[in-house]
Amino acid sequence: MPVFKTPFNGYSVRFSPFYESRLAVATAQNFGILGNGRVHVIDLSPTSPIINELIAFDTADGVYDVAWSESHDSVLVAAIADGSIKVYDTALPPHSNPLRSLKEHAREVHGLDYNPTRRDSFLSASWDDSVKLWTLDRPASLRTFREHAYCVYSVAWNPKHADVFASASGDCTVRIWDVREPGSTMIIPGHENEILSCDWNKYDDCLIASASVDKSIKIWDVRNYRMPVSVLNGHGYAVRKIKFSPHRRNLIVSCSYDMTVCLWDFMVEDALVGRYDHHTEFAVGVDLSVLVDGLMASTGWDELVYVWQQGMDPKAA
Amino acid sequence: MSMRELVTGGAACAVPGSSSSSSNPLGALANALIGSSSKTQERLREIPNAAAPTSDTQFYSQVDDSVAALPGSELDRPFLHSNAQGSDFIRGLRSFDDNGLADAWEEIQRQPHLDHLYDPAAAPIQPTLDGPPQRVLSSFLHSFVDSSRSGIPLHPTPLPLLGLSQGDKQCIRDRSSIMARHFFADKSEDFINAQVNALLSSLEIENDVRARGPVPGRFRELEDYWNESQGILKPGARSADGWVTEFSQYTAQHGDTNAWVRSFEQQHGASSWASEFEQEQAQLTSIDHLNGGDVANLAAIEQTRMLAHTLSQNDDPKFQVKPASGSWATEYQQQYNGGGTWADEFVHNEVFRGPDQWVNEFATERERHEQADDQWVNEFSKLHVDDWVEEFGHQVGEGILGDTSSDNWANAYDEFLNEQVAAKQRSDASSGVYVFSDMNPYVGHPNPLKEGQELFRKGLLSEAVLALEAEVMKNPENAEGWRLLGITHAENDDDQQAIAAMMRAQEADPTNLEVLLALGVSHTNELEQAAALKYLYGWLQHHPKYGTLAPPELGDSLYYADVARLFNEAAQMSPEDADVHIVLGVLYNLSREYDKAIASFKTALKLKPNDYSLWNKLGATQANSVQSADAILAYQQALDLKPNYVRAWANMGISYANQGLYEQSIRYYVRALAMNPKADNAWQYLRISLSCASRNDMLEPCDSRNLELLQKEFPL
Repeated sequence: MPVFKTPFNGYSVRFSPFYESRLAVATAQNFGILGNGRVHVIDLSPTSPIINELIAFDTADGVYDVAWSESHDSVLVAAIADGSIKVYDTALPPHSNPLRSLKEHAREVHGLDYNPTRRDSFLSASWDDSVKLWTLDRPASLRTFREHAYCVYSVAWNPKHADVFASASGDCTVRIWDVREPGSTMIIPGHENEILSCDWNKYDDCLIASASVDKSIKIWDVRNYRMPVSVLNGHGYAVRKIKFSPHRRNLIVSCSYDMTVCLWDFMVEDALVGRYDHHTEFAVGVDLSVLVDGLMASTGWDELVYVWQQGMDPKAA
Repeated sequence: MSMRELVTGGAACAVPGSSSSSSNPLGALANALIGSSSKTQERLREIPNAAAPTSDTQFYSQVDDSVAALPGSELDRPFLHSNAQGSDFIRGLRSFDDNGLADAWEEIQRQPHLDHLYDPAAAPIQPTLDGPPQRVLSSFLHSFVDSSRSGIPLHPTPLPLLGLSQGDKQCIRDRSSIMARHFFADKSEDFINAQVNALLSSLEIENDVRARGPVPGRFRELEDYWNESQGILKPGARSADGWVTEFSQYTAQHGDTNAWVRSFEQQHGASSWASEFEQEQAQLTSIDHLNGGDVANLAAIEQTRMLAHTLSQNDDPKFQVKPASGSWATEYQQQYNGGGTWADEFVHNEVFRGPDQWVNEFATERERHEQADDQWVNEFSKLHVDDWVEEFGHQVGEGILGDTSSDNWANAYDEFLNEQVAAKQRSDASSGVYVFSDMNPYVGHPNPLKEGQELFRKGLLSEAVLALEAEVMKNPENAEGWRLLGITHAENDDDQQAIAAMMRAQEADPTNLEVLLALGVSHTNELEQAAALKYLYGWLQHHPKYGTLAPPELGDSLYYADVARLFNEAAQMSPEDADVHIVLGVLYNLSREYDKAIASFKTALKLKPNDYSLWNKLGATQANSVQSADAILAYQQALDLKPNYVRAWANMGISYANQGLYEQSIRYYVRALAMNPKADNAWQYLRISLSCASRNDMLEPCDSRNLELLQKEFPL
């Protein structure tokens, strides 16, 4: 299966919503603690196991996350550790990039999510404890959501309701927001430890998953969040990122500081469906292709990006 | 990363991302200078960090390579520093300075770099590492990260001078503190602090109080409060970080972010504060600007949970497919329309917030009123609530604060109190405490059970509830009375009360199968899987025929799959037993396998075609699996069998709303409400349908619950 080597430590990987073979990778030097960053846009070759780099963008600080625009096939946004968000257009000549640098967050930007239903806006989660809402046609953010009491690590739009999103924070809560409302609609004190990631089920707009430093993943029904619908145990260290499958209702993929990528079916008793231990360092980025059922990608601090078909060995040549 | 790119600026400056150097005048020069050696360097660079040498001597022996380890790190800043350590290549490059390369370099640096333009603040915090130190730093950070797995504590190590700027140090300190808490999650706080301190002291970074706290659970509100009370609020600047860190040191873990709140409560007593507040509320009504949600915050933390909880319980799974298409948020909104925006504020308050938030609000309000009474602020900052109350009363007495639209505020507050009472009641119910109605006319009735049964049969469910309550007050051990009361509540659309009543019935008669089944169904409606499984399993255990199937040891740890398997076995044992199929249908609802649930209910209906509640279950399941048209047929069957079945009328309305037939749905809601005007859910759904059908003219009758008018307008 194809492997791509990045000069810096991988931080995030995302499939393009327009081209089934295209991915964006966020990387940061020195584990994102100090140094530069780079966004790679890479293309899988249909015939050979080689991944080609289409273009790369360098940044003056680490890149923690990337998100593809849902409206323009060549546009992507990058979360930079210096608190800025940079907008790149891969179709434009290098001197035109970045298209924009949006600097409002006071601290590291750690998570981004592009609105999949409205397609015109995106959210940023920052270590300044806030979430901001942006559109590309404005130089300043539309709104700032301040309620979390510690770093916000990730944000996720609801797949059905264009105004609803969730945020995961180190204050041990997931909050549900409606951008039309002044404050959060719901607070889920989901874990005993920091929550690093959250995502909505793509088939049931009431189900949300949270991943925590406490090693567990919990599935919640927002109509009744006193008890989780399901708790997935099996990671040996903090769970860094989770994603619901765009193709299978009950499937979740996760990656962890235990260096593995795991697949789960949260509706069955033995929830762990698969475990991939191809990374030799913390696995911090994972994604599932919307366009190809079962196509997965992961990246980690071992400076490698793997792309493979579910059920296959990511390391198999 | 290669030397070529380093010089051409592929990574460095004006043309980020350029893969060809032709656009850069320096490119050709660099190509000529470096030539093919760049390829070698590229390969060297591909040695993963994991394989990086670990001793100082090795770092320095790889001096040339270390230059390649600098990809892009020179962005936006001078290329070399006076403390650059001995790379031949770099020295060579520097010698070019005299030949004009430096000028060209300077030019590149001056080019309007977008990053730079947008990001003036980014430039000064660029890493100023030259080759070898960069490698040293990288390796050292790697051993820091690695120590999370080995569990071997990192020891402070003397490192060569790295030339880190203040900004670099701050980045390292802040980010390593935050990240360490992710990958050392298993370790104690002391261990984590020791690790971070070892890292920082090796890099000669002071871990002083100016650091952005290494402790999760910084307390924003405190920070803001502190800023405001000190009058040095600088918007955007995190000037209070040092103070926050200091504060954080007293709160060892983020669980303790409430410590401040608690100590405040201990000092002043939460309830006494609240009651003091209530005493003062007459005066408070004169300030509509004062945000009630925040005022009530301290006393309201618990109630916030309850109300949130109430919100969640109203979302019955039978309503899973939301009536107002594409807007479940409005549905939540509907839940607290009564309180208006004021209640919104209240609901949105978070658990972590303590009175300090209120302090903020208040301080802000005062600023808005331009009453910068410093002494007051100081007084206040000491948190002398008593003083505050006096002071405040004083101010009110002087008429300093605005007094417009005080009635609105007072009304809102009354509504809020009512809602709190309601929330409290519902919360009691959800915790299994049955809440009796006030003023029950059936108390003292000679045979309330018989009366209740009669009323139930007639479909006068709200009346039946009262009669049956009178019965169980008279005979608290009457399981049948409690059971009937539970069923009445369930049919009347109140699952929380149904559960509470059924639990009393189960206390009185722990093995009553109907009670166990009803509890299982009600908990399924409330999406409480564990509880539902417990009762459904109990049903199996106590069933004379299937009891043998249930191994007693299973009761301790019930898994959905086990219970489903047992019931499938039971169904094979006696395929003609409708009850087993009903339970299976309920179970499949729990696991959201609606197709199987529908099949089970249909099987049961073949055996029990006259069970109206079974038709309703089928309908609800079909609605849940987005077959609203089929659902309507099933509900119609239920209503043919029992014309005064409130729940089926309301469900019918939901199914019509789901299909976008709002006008039709309104008629069914109104019909259901005519039979049970207390069905709060139905009122909310009616309101949604009215707005969706653009019948805003009828919203007022809906809000005032004017059934007469609504029935006239929407006859069925």
